[in-house]
Amino acid sequence: MRLIAGWKRVWLIGAFVLAFVCVAATELRAQTKASDKEWVAVVEAAKKEGKVVVAGSPDPVMRNDIIPKFTARFGIPVEFVAGRSSQIVSRVETERAAGIYSIDVFLAGPDTSANELYNDKMIDPLKPLLVMPEVADGSKWKSGKVWFVDPQEQFIVRAFSSVATLLFINTEHVKPDELRQMKDLLNPKWRGKISTEDPTTTGAGANKAARFYVQIGEEFVKNLYIDQKSVRTRERRQMTDWLARGTQPICLDCREDDVRPLLKDGFKILEIFEIAGAGPTINGSPWMLSLANKAPHPKAAQVFANWILAKEGLETYARGYGSATLRTDVDESFLNPGNVPKKGVKYFDDTDWKWIVGGRHENRDKVWKLLKAR
Amino acid sequence: MSRAATTAMPRSRRFHLRPIRLAEFSFLVFLAVVMGLPLLFLLTGSFNLSAPGKPAVYGVDNWLRAFTDSGTLSALSMSFTLSVVRLIPAMILSVSFAWLIARTDMPGGKFIESVCWIAYFVPDFPLVLAWILLLDPTFGFLNSLAKSLPGVEGSIFNPYGFWGIVWVHTSTGGIWFKVMLLVPVFRRLGATLEEAARVAGANTATMLWRITLPVLAPMIVAVSVLSFIRGLQSFNTELLLGTPAGIYVYSTKIYDFLQREPRAYGEATALGSVFLLVLAVLLFFYWKFLSGGKKFTVVTGQGFSTLRVKLGKWRYVAFAGCLLYVAVTMLLPLTFLVIGSFMRRYGFFNITSPFTLNHWHSMLSDPIFLVALKNSLIIASTTAIGGVLLYSALAYLLVSRRTITAPLLESFCWIPHVLPGILLSLGVLWLFLATPLRFFLYGSVWGIAAALILADSPVTTQAFKAGLLQLGAELEESARVSGASWRYTYRRVLLPLLAPIAAAVGLMNFGSALTSISTPVLLYSHESRPLAILLLEYSFTGELERAAALGLLITAIIGTMMLVGRKLGLHLAGSE
Repeated sequence: MRLIAGWKRVWLIGAFVLAFVCVAATELRAQTKASDKEWVAVVEAAKKEGKVVVAGSPDPVMRNDIIPKFTARFGIPVEFVAGRSSQIVSRVETERAAGIYSIDVFLAGPDTSANELYNDKMIDPLKPLLVMPEVADGSKWKSGKVWFVDPQEQFIVRAFSSVATLLFINTEHVKPDELRQMKDLLNPKWRGKISTEDPTTTGAGANKAARFYVQIGEEFVKNLYIDQKSVRTRERRQMTDWLARGTQPICLDCREDDVRPLLKDGFKILEIFEIAGAGPTINGSPWMLSLANKAPHPKAAQVFANWILAKEGLETYARGYGSATLRTDVDESFLNPGNVPKKGVKYFDDTDWKWIVGGRHENRDKVWKLLKAR
Repeated sequence: MSRAATTAMPRSRRFHLRPIRLAEFSFLVFLAVVMGLPLLFLLTGSFNLSAPGKPAVYGVDNWLRAFTDSGTLSALSMSFTLSVVRLIPAMILSVSFAWLIARTDMPGGKFIESVCWIAYFVPDFPLVLAWILLLDPTFGFLNSLAKSLPGVEGSIFNPYGFWGIVWVHTSTGGIWFKVMLLVPVFRRLGATLEEAARVAGANTATMLWRITLPVLAPMIVAVSVLSFIRGLQSFNTELLLGTPAGIYVYSTKIYDFLQREPRAYGEATALGSVFLLVLAVLLFFYWKFLSGGKKFTVVTGQGFSTLRVKLGKWRYVAFAGCLLYVAVTMLLPLTFLVIGSFMRRYGFFNITSPFTLNHWHSMLSDPIFLVALKNSLIIASTTAIGGVLLYSALAYLLVSRRTITAPLLESFCWIPHVLPGILLSLGVLWLFLATPLRFFLYGSVWGIAAALILADSPVTTQAFKAGLLQLGAELEESARVSGASWRYTYRRVLLPLLAPIAAAVGLMNFGSALTSISTPVLLYSHESRPLAILLLEYSFTGELERAAALGLLITAIIGTMMLVGRKLGLHLAGSE
């Protein structure tokens, strides 16, 4: 009897679980269908708006890959307003003061996104608009959900997280084992042989110097940028050419997408992500995504935002730019393994909200004071 | 205005002032709005301390921050030094070139003049890089050649530094612009005075010093002022060659404030105001100079001789000298630029298969390219024609009227020359958006053309003014006495005499419109993107080879237009 009663209980529980699973599955399917339906409706409405206006940095990936793919997929033309962030924001603010709202989507750097677009209330919450099933699905994201970096977790999406390059070396002139620790950079042998984007003005050079200031200290920054006579430039191509020729075989701020063609041409360039004395760093390059408020083409903007966060959009960008995305379903085999963050490693996050809105500026000002005083 | 200007005014017209006065005040209102308002916006904005979109709070903090920023004063001093050092040899060379081309029997003058025109419009960024390839201490082509000479050890040339900047400036833009402006006015100079001087026993040098230069002084001084201020604002070359050597100029400081996040336009405007101050001082002396009882009329109704100064056997030496200068300063880097556009990586000859047609192919097959080309041609043609019509009329007013508004009119004209391009663009953007015409102007090719016409006002007005100062009043008077209407007189007398200058400044404006980046940068839209913005995008993303190809294509367009324009100018002038 007891055995029968036990089996009865098992059957009952099993039936209950089965019923629950069936209901949940039905509900999920209904939700998915609703989500699909909602997405289809958004796409239809977007097509009626005729176009989407995207503002961002003038990079070839956007021009050559993203725009043609998006237009081919949805039949919605993309107008791309390209320029330096500061120029685009000036323009948008002036337009808005005159009651003109021309931009739908911003693909901007962390500084512009946090300190200008968010701070000046130029953007709308994006979270409720992410309805494309493969974007809304938390399992498709390494962090379990779309990563909104702003305090309300509504406005600005971070879609990338790559290990940042610490420096590049030309191995015909510098052997990797000559740079085992950060203080090796201060070897008199490298005096005048290190190139950097000018750290005395806004940009990657100043950002890296601010990081060194926090991570290693003022004395190191002084020694590296002043005593070592690091050669400064504001032209990124100039730095890459110096690296290739070996004139300045150590480059602190060369960009990976600029160096990649050199590797194809057989130059002996090595990308270094970490050296003892400076912790590894991740960042959200190349952009953060936000939607303009009072956008002239809100549905088209919504479609673009969803698509660029989906597998096709992000993978296209990741391949072109060489950055690791935060999606779980993007193939990363084409990336330099060093670019992909490793589990269990503690990284300094160069795109962390608090760092962007406060720490970086404070430390950059200290660096400027230090360097300009000399 | 000056006494010289008064003499150029037909006396009979002093009794028919109304239409001209109406035109004068219309111009004043127009210029006050289009030139004065953007400046006012900028200056007011520079005192606004609050964040964008917040209620305005006024104070002087931006100004204090700008001028107490470390390095501002040393950068200003460096800019002045560089500008003066560059100006002196460049003016001597330019006047010599213009004189040789227009006033002497040197062979090949037209060829040299054409080269000057083409050279001016070669984009400077890839050209500076070409100079680096030639002069770099480690891999520079000329240094490598020099090292192969006996007794030479180490590198001789170094572009990174003060003298490197001076040299590259002299090559990229030092004399071409000045020669372009000076040659037409040198041509207008009748030979009568020179012949009289020669009869009186003066040699060529005395004649040049005592006759030619003094009567052409308005244009020479105007070109010097234009060049000096342009030198103060110079930026690209200093950025590439100065930064590695720790040389910072004033424009770099302004650029830094413009690039900051959040933007610091207030500080940038404060620093830019120094240019206004410099301009005010220079204009004061310029006006004093013109009103000092001098007379600059060289084209009168009493016969016009175009006989040129005979140089004898020195004519070939002069030609060889000009040719050598052009070859070294322009053809050499230009050759590198042409080669660079066909290289997989600009300046890298040691990689496998270094040459390719890909950059040209990808540029020409880029769907944006054809749209940008069409936009650029519309913008450049509108700018050229609009600028000539507007500023020839303005210059006529400035020269032919004695009125208290002339200094104001002229001051307004100079404003675009002293505002850094991006600030001018911002000012014009504010202006467009504040008018009912904003839906027509903002983001359209017409808006960009309008902004470029404004930006061209100093050079165009000064060129026409200098040309008009050369014309004698009796030319108009005799036409009027013969019963000609003002329009008929303008068409049959003034226009043919001004045609070479009109052709020159029209072409110059056409070329500037094709290559200008800072003026349209805040005004273009996806539909109205011109070639120069495409060039900026290529440079920004490090696609230097494609930028070189596009730069060469722009130069070729300008070269073609130059040939057509010269032909037209000569036709209008009746010289054909």
